[in-house]
Amino acid sequence: MEFLNFLVILVVGWLVWRRPERERLAFRLLVVSCLLMVLLFLIGTHTSFVPGVNL
Amino acid sequence: MALSQDRLRLVLAWVVIVLIVGPVGGALWLGVVHGDSPCILCWAQRTSMILIALVGLFVLRYGPRPRYLAMAVLLGAWGVFMALRHSGLHLARDVGQGFSTSILGVHTYAWSWFIHWIVLGVIGVLMLLLREGFSEGETRDPGRTGRFAMGLFVVAVAGNAVQAFISTGPPPFIGQADPVRISLNPRHWVWMNEELEGRMSLRGSWTIPTPNPDAEDPDPAHGPLANLPTLAVSRWERITARLNGELTDLAASLPDLPVSPSSPEGRGGQGVRTTGGQGVRYLAVTDHYGVYLLDSALSNVEHHVVLDPGYSIDLTPLAGAAFLGDTLAVLSTNKSYALLRPDPDADANAEWRHFLETGGGVTELRLGRFATVRARQMYVLSLAYDPSADELITVAVPSPRQRRFVVSRFARADFLLASEFVPRLADGLTPSGPGRGLAEYVVTGAAVADGYLYAFSAAYSTLLVIDLQAETVRAAYAVPGIEHSSGLAVRGSQLLVVQADGRVAAVERPIP
Repeated sequence: MEFLNFLVILVVGWLVWRRPERERLAFRLLVVSCLLMVLLFLIGTHTSFVPGVNL
Repeated sequence: MALSQDRLRLVLAWVVIVLIVGPVGGALWLGVVHGDSPCILCWAQRTSMILIALVGLFVLRYGPRPRYLAMAVLLGAWGVFMALRHSGLHLARDVGQGFSTSILGVHTYAWSWFIHWIVLGVIGVLMLLLREGFSEGETRDPGRTGRFAMGLFVVAVAGNAVQAFISTGPPPFIGQADPVRISLNPRHWVWMNEELEGRMSLRGSWTIPTPNPDAEDPDPAHGPLANLPTLAVSRWERITARLNGELTDLAASLPDLPVSPSSPEGRGGQGVRTTGGQGVRYLAVTDHYGVYLLDSALSNVEHHVVLDPGYSIDLTPLAGAAFLGDTLAVLSTNKSYALLRPDPDADANAEWRHFLETGGGVTELRLGRFATVRARQMYVLSLAYDPSADELITVAVPSPRQRRFVVSRFARADFLLASEFVPRLADGLTPSGPGRGLAEYVVTGAAVADGYLYAFSAAYSTLLVIDLQAETVRAAYAVPGIEHSSGLAVRGSQLLVVQADGRVAAVERPIP
């Protein structure tokens, strides 16, 4: 899924660079990418969402 | 001082270039050239930095719109959390025991922490320098530097995509907790979804409920060891002195014990406690941080203090007490300890910082924490002192997360862990059923005599006699009639099993 996320980011970067008139699509894909990144991190930490130290 | 749009764009383009070339490009270089593949958490942290750079490109192209700045702040804050969570896995390890490559002596997961802090700082500075009146505008030419930043960004992301494909695979595969070094040989590629396994938890292994011995089943017949002999209570006594809470342990002083020449009792030059055989004194502790030195009749308080549990080492409710010669040792359930000493010259004003309440005549010598290995993330409810080895001893209580019976010994010389063991069962002691064992006992009181550690469990009201040399449970006895035991003391040939209500059951001390 990290690979998929980088593909999304690549598309967004391309849109900003070469197709700036597609700002709304680019920003929506940016949000999607952020959410995917958060999801993957939460999956990686699902056995302990907060740091494993004295809090 | 304020930046014009053109100057802001130039500064921002260089910020993006530095971010892409530095941490993002550096991570790619480490992965491809040095075989330092990212774990699933590293991937997310790297992605966050790339997304921050991408937001920078949005600002370059469309101006500093509020939603871009908001997105950058959110990403920076989330990145700080990710770095804290990831670093928390490794920060407390021993020297040199971090994970993955270090740069300038700092591991990459900690660098991510620093970088996200910097990003937040840079966003703040740029917003400060923005000229009033910046608003949404039309699409702008990012300039030569900006276009270079965009091209560099696309190349860097493409490189990361290739590395991610090799290391983590196409969807639905995700990154791994324990990644392998990168290879161009597809037969070496490892694609998996192991991170989807395991139950969800907020705190993981740190979810340890505080022990509640009152909830334990006191019936010895239900215990994990079969066919135990019975030890009858020979006499009931009661602590009639007024305490400030429930009694959580009791220790009896050894008569004629050598004392420190510098102690109040040693100053007379005798070098021994002068109380004589009948001068047994008792040390009682309560769940409200009360420490009481009681007379031989358990009715009069000679000294008492209420410890301040907050400064600067946190004390949870006290659970253990022991005499170390003329020093009083008390232990809280979180393995923090305090050393006290009766001192007629104690300055009550100087001791105010240590005690919420004091009757005077007591000095705090030391606060500290016992660190364990096998008993880590386990609470304790007992403290014993072995004078022959000059060691303090605790027995950990099990929890749903940690089901072990661990005896930990700490050298009095430095209060560090000297040894730990999980005792074996001697011949003749057998579990009462499959899967049953010592880890079911909840030891609330412990004391040492004649080379044996006597440990009393509130669960199943059972006395365990542990040979400290052989690290073996030599014998175990059912002691019916005890309710909510909270401590254990040795008084000569007797054991005193203490209940939270202040009643004390005397039983003859068995020697296997």
